[in-house]
Amino acid sequence: MLKRGFLTTVAALSLIAAAAIPARAEVSIMYMESFAALIESGIEKFEAETGETVNAIKLPGQGYDQRIALDLSAGTAADVNLIDSFMVSELASAGYLEPLGAMAAEWDQYQYYLPGLLEVASYQGEVYALPTDTDVRMLWYDKSNFEKAGIAMPWEPKNWADILDAAQKLKDAGVQYPFQLPAGTKQAEAATMQGVYMALLGADVPEDDRNRLLNRETNQWIGDSPALRRTFDLYHQVYVERELNPADLNYATDISAAVRQALADDNLGILASGSWEDACLWDCNNPPSREERDAQVGWTPWPGSGEPGTKETTNISGGWTLGINANAADKDMAFKLVTAIFDEENFKAWTLANHRMAVRTDISESPEYTEDPFLAEATALAADTTGRDTVPGYQTVSALIQQATADILDGASAEDAIQEYHDALVDEFGEENVITYE
Amino acid sequence: MEANPAHSRLTAIALAFMAVIWVSPFSWLFLNAFNTASTGQLEIPSAVGLDNFAQAVSGNAGRQFLNSMLIAAGTATLSVVIGIAAAYPLSRLKIPGRNAFLWTLVLLRMLPSAGVLVPLYFAAQRGGLLNQFGVIIALTILNLPFTLLLLKNFFDTVPIELEEAAYVEGASLFQIVTKIVLPMSRAGIAVVWFFSFTGAWNEFLLPLIFARVQDAFPMSVGLYAAFGQQGAVDYGFLAAYSIIYAAPAVGVYFLLRRNMNTGFAGVGVKG
Amino acid sequence: MKNQANPWLTSNLLVLGLGMLPAMLLVGALLYFTAWAFAFSFTDLALVGRKAVEWSWVGFENYERLFTRRGFLESLWTTVIFVFFSAIVGQSVLGFLLAAALRGSASSIRSVVEVCIMLGWLLPDIVAAFLWSATTNQTGLINQLIVVPLGFPPINLINDYALPVVTIANIWKGTAWSYLLFSAALDSISREVVEAAKVDGATPFQRIWLVMLPIIRPHIATNMLFITIWTFTYFPLIFAMTGGGPGTQTQTLAVYLYLQSFSRGNLGYGSAISVAMLVIVGVLSLFYLRLLREPK
Repeated sequence: MLKRGFLTTVAALSLIAAAAIPARAEVSIMYMESFAALIESGIEKFEAETGETVNAIKLPGQGYDQRIALDLSAGTAADVNLIDSFMVSELASAGYLEPLGAMAAEWDQYQYYLPGLLEVASYQGEVYALPTDTDVRMLWYDKSNFEKAGIAMPWEPKNWADILDAAQKLKDAGVQYPFQLPAGTKQAEAATMQGVYMALLGADVPEDDRNRLLNRETNQWIGDSPALRRTFDLYHQVYVERELNPADLNYATDISAAVRQALADDNLGILASGSWEDACLWDCNNPPSREERDAQVGWTPWPGSGEPGTKETTNISGGWTLGINANAADKDMAFKLVTAIFDEENFKAWTLANHRMAVRTDISESPEYTEDPFLAEATALAADTTGRDTVPGYQTVSALIQQATADILDGASAEDAIQEYHDALVDEFGEENVITYE
Repeated sequence: MEANPAHSRLTAIALAFMAVIWVSPFSWLFLNAFNTASTGQLEIPSAVGLDNFAQAVSGNAGRQFLNSMLIAAGTATLSVVIGIAAAYPLSRLKIPGRNAFLWTLVLLRMLPSAGVLVPLYFAAQRGGLLNQFGVIIALTILNLPFTLLLLKNFFDTVPIELEEAAYVEGASLFQIVTKIVLPMSRAGIAVVWFFSFTGAWNEFLLPLIFARVQDAFPMSVGLYAAFGQQGAVDYGFLAAYSIIYAAPAVGVYFLLRRNMNTGFAGVGVKG
Repeated sequence: MKNQANPWLTSNLLVLGLGMLPAMLLVGALLYFTAWAFAFSFTDLALVGRKAVEWSWVGFENYERLFTRRGFLESLWTTVIFVFFSAIVGQSVLGFLLAAALRGSASSIRSVVEVCIMLGWLLPDIVAAFLWSATTNQTGLINQLIVVPLGFPPINLINDYALPVVTIANIWKGTAWSYLLFSAALDSISREVVEAAKVDGATPFQRIWLVMLPIIRPHIATNMLFITIWTFTYFPLIFAMTGGGPGTQTQTLAVYLYLQSFSRGNLGYGSAISVAMLVIVGVLSLFYLRLLREPK
């Protein structure tokens, strides 16, 4: 009886489900929940203009990367896809993405894109995706805790010693998380970008890319260098030697909520993060006012290490992009959808409302944008920024970097972490593609 | 059973204590679900209401519930039907090496689904199965080793003498199976069905990557709608949604509870 | 078991064979996918990028790295501890004790305890992870209810004792299966046997150890086998609670496998890890099956 009942239910449910699946649309797009505001209004505009129907599929952030990779490799991906900028070259190198150059040349708004950001979404000189937004990275600090620790404000650290010094004072003043420096595999890309790379860029001179993960001239990964050693040593000092921060925020079930909570409870000293924090800082349900934010929290650029010849401040930028599937049936139509989403009116409204950093001069130079004091200052920081090493393999290297920081948290010495990192790089890319700087 | 009343009372107190410890983690779930201004912290709500539940059942929730039901009931039913058809012969016919075969399958199934995900996805794509039917088949494949082993064990416990007697009285194979074997192993079937159901109900990654349209997502994917913009989690929604999400499986458990207890006795018979 | 003279079977061999066909097709599919996973372990196949398309055979390189690179052996040790304490000691023993204690209890108590145990089992993993971190973090239930009222400073349990915390969370989540199995097994023991032992003067401990346990030995072995396999590969709860951290303290093989396959994107190495896991559990299973088959 039981079983027959269920069979009927199953049959009925299948009918309902089958009836509800819409007919195949002309253009399809896949994106993440958090970009809904930008993309959905663009879709509406596109549908109104062209009369086409768009098959849109919106995914939660969880599992998005896996799905993109599988979809593109199996040839089942949507025509237009939202892609993290660091994956673009990887996907392009496998032939999954359509080069946009020829189509973009005919679009009058293409000229406004910042060339540096287009380069991030390029592979072998061809642009494969258009950026939605970008960001800069900095050190946020809690003003009340700085006061408690007796550190002068505005805080302007000149080198790493200044940071460690401040962290020590904060620790002595009883602040629970004196210097939250993203580390470990759970932080994923945040550990690489907000932590390691920000330090690395200021850890050695920029010549020959000695302050990077990759020698971009020769396309060889750097398996061992003074910059890497200094960076890992910084992690070792913060988390092991001087115990300037407990590790647990990096492993919280919900990291960003835990960080916001620590900020709200005045338990945080210095936070290595980025410009997106400004949108809500410690309360994303009821974002605090500009005045409240400024009274509670300040920020300063990441200083270099202080070694001779290194950069005074460092910065690196990321962001998301829209790219077109190389197997899309109608690529011109797909690109039309992209331009509808990025059309100035729609794009600008979203950028301003969501407090994103503009990727185009027509938006960044508009009065509404320059009026916002935070965006204006942060954009000034973006004048001297760089992107990730967007060559195939970056994702793997980044995962190895995260693994190395996790090992340090475990108590491994900087020396051991470097050795392990170097060997793993050789495993992945071969002896000839890994170099060492003395 | 215990003769000593003092001893029995002690057991009861210990059990009650155990139960309290066991449910205490749920305090977070309920405090947040009914807290209209939930922050995800463990605190007494300042404002109590059903807003979170209203939000959880709005939007796509109805469709997602149906999808979850379809996937879970479909997988469980398909697993049981296919499992019965194969487990009865496996139990009754002396096929050499059948036990070793079943145990090997169970062991192979240990390969984490992450390992088989890629070939599975490509096969589904080639077979035109990137839809809910594909999810059901994929989950049935992954369930099959356990299903076969358990069902065969249950059938082993049905005395063959009964079937003999029925045959002497002129019953056909079909009648023997449906009138004697299945009713006698009803409990075991309930156990297998239930575990396939809950497993499929909780499956997240397969439906996420198989679905071609947004309307095909089940509730396990909808749960992640709580993880919203700028990494902010809507904990009230999450808590309320997960109560609604867990409810059907709990309900199914109570429907099948009486059956399951006897069913489990069959789990452990000789492999 | 004996089918020499079972005419309803022998005359219907074709029908029975046809009945097995769908299952065998699906088993074939499973073997096919598994074979791919085996094959991948000898390649440098990547999840994305050029090596996803132009992969090549690398022989036993991936297997060598299991032993020469940091990660696998450490994770194996973590997994052994996690499986032993959460599944074998925690779920099995607790499940058995609960089943034995509830055997004679009033059905109301039994229902309440059963509901509690089942709720843990049925809750989605991600929500269970939130529950447990809310229970064990610095402002969590244990600190608010026990540690702070007793006058101690709050302890960040999930950070300071990560492995014990995820172990306990997994016991909480998974005891239902062992409990249901043992409960049913104990119910199947006839009352007379136990009463007879009592008349002979056996203590409660002796009754359990000498009378009940031998009878349910097959159940114990089956239970061990299943929960070992499940716990070895179980990953969502740990991954959501700690992501394998702090550092690598809770990085079990299943978490390690996920990180290598999907974060690092090295499917070849990931496959080698899963094959190694298979071999380890295979050896354990042989041990359990011996326990199961032992005569008397």
